[in-house]
Parts: sequence; C-alpha cells; structure tokens
Amino acid sequence: MDDHEKAITPNESLKLIEEMINRARNNFGDNGHLYLLWGWVIALCSLGHFVMWHFRLVAHPEMIWMVTWATMIYQAVYLRKRKKASRVKTYSDDILGYVWLVFVVCLALTAFVLIQYKERQALYSMFLVLYGVPTFLSGKVLKVRELTIGGVFCWVLAIASTFIIVKFQLLLIMLSVIVAWIVPGYAMKAKYNKQKLYGEGE
Amino acid sequence: MFKELDPILHSQLRLAVMSLLISVKEAEFTFIKEKTNATAGNLSVQVQKLKEAGYIEVVKQFKDNYPLTTCQITKKGIEAFENYVKALQGYLNTDN
Repeated sequence: MDDHEKAITPNESLKLIEEMINRARNNFGDNGHLYLLWGWVIALCSLGHFVMWHFRLVAHPEMIWMVTWATMIYQAVYLRKRKKASRVKTYSDDILGYVWLVFVVCLALTAFVLIQYKERQALYSMFLVLYGVPTFLSGKVLKVRELTIGGVFCWVLAIASTFIIVKFQLLLIMLSVIVAWIVPGYAMKAKYNKQKLYGEGE
Repeated sequence: MFKELDPILHSQLRLAVMSLLISVKEAEFTFIKEKTNATAGNLSVQVQKLKEAGYIEVVKQFKDNYPLTTCQITKKGIEAFENYVKALQGYLNTDN
C-alpha cells in the first residue's frame, strides 16, 4: 500500500475493510503460557496433596498449596512484561482480564465462606464450578474450542465430585485442570507459534 | 441520490488503518505498518491526515528510550466509519 491517494471502488473498499478486520481479529495474541503454568501448578499440587494425605506422609499436606503464592508473584511479573511487549490492545484482552480477576475474587470468597460455615466438604466441588466459568468464557471470547469444552468438563466433574469422598475429589481437581487448562494451553501455544512462523503474530 | 463518500476515508491506506483500529482498543504504529504492508513514511502521512480530521488519537511517548507511537480510534472516527460503510452499502445496493 504505497500509493498515497489510490482511488478505490466501493467494492474494493468493502473488501479492504473485511480483510483488515480479519487481520486484526486473527491476531492470536495468547501463547497459552499462563494456562500451562496454572494447569501444571494446580495439577501437581492436587496430586501432591492427595498422595501426602492418602499415605499420611506429613501432618499438613494442604501446605503444598503455598506454591500457588509463588506462582501468583511470577504471574504478576510475567503479565507486566507481556503488557510492555504487546503492540496492540484489544477489547477482548480487557474483558478476559476482568473475567479472571472476578474468578480469583470468587474463589477466595467461596473458600472463606465455606470454611466459616465449616462446610469444607463442598470446597472442591465449588472450586470445580468456579473453574468452569472463566475457562468457558475465555474459550468463547478467544474462539478456542478446547477451553470451552474444558469449562463444561469442569461443571460435569463438579456434579461427579458430590458422589465421592473429599480426598478423592483432589484427583478430580487434577483431572479438571489437565482437560481445562493444560490441553488447551498446548493447543494455544501451537496456534501462536504457527502464526508467528507465518509472520502474522504479535 | 448517492451519499457522498467521505474523502478522508475513501483512500486505500487510510481506510485500512481505520478498519484495523475499529477492531482493537489501540495499536502501535509498528503493528499498523506490519498489518497494512505500508512504508513508514506513507503511513505517517496518512495517520497525520486521520488525526487532523479527528478520526484517530495519536499518542507519542518513549518506551525503553525508543519513541513509541500509539493510535486509537475516536468517537468521531467510529461515526465516520459507520457512515462510510452505510454510504458504501447504498452504492452496492444500486449496483445489484
């Protein structure tokens, strides 16, 4: 597009508009890094918690979840760097940022409320319900089918979790993040790398 | 009667820039350059014209000691773009 004032017909104009909107939309900016990070952290924590609890290896197996605090610090640094490096801001980035923020707040409040009411046995089931919400919405907004399916899968596991004892619900948490975050994370990473290879990426 | 097509938008590169910016919240100059395949010089001229028309907002700042230009469509720009598309549809409906 080097012509300074190239005249175009109405048909060409519409084609150009369509093409440019598609180019902006097809700019897939998420490399799946945070889905993979949190997927692996939660999967390993829930597995570790289960193993230590089941085989009575330590007095407080739940302490393994302290790893998530370190992960949060890493995430904050990573997001700051990513924001700096990003050349384009989209409305969907903003929306998804708020969706995940609401998820974290709801997760913390749910844990607080259930512990206050001494309803610990419902904790993991409620976590599974909540895991499904941002995952499903992210799948729809980013048009990543694996995430949408992962969101629904979390809700199915939430129902299933009510039929098993709390200790084994930890294995459902692990299964949920494998399907809802790890599998989509690798799919997003592949899509991002492919786009970068063909020079369309961010 | 045909609606007159907005001369600011009825130019290939300016229309391409507006179509990109209507799809995102804001974009850096280098991003627009890459997506439109335009040269930096030509793009600068056209961005300036869009800015003078009040269709886009251009923010110039520094990032890691390098100049950084960011563009964002304005409310006036969105209205102009919508009117342009409506006018185009008028032309095309008559053609068919």
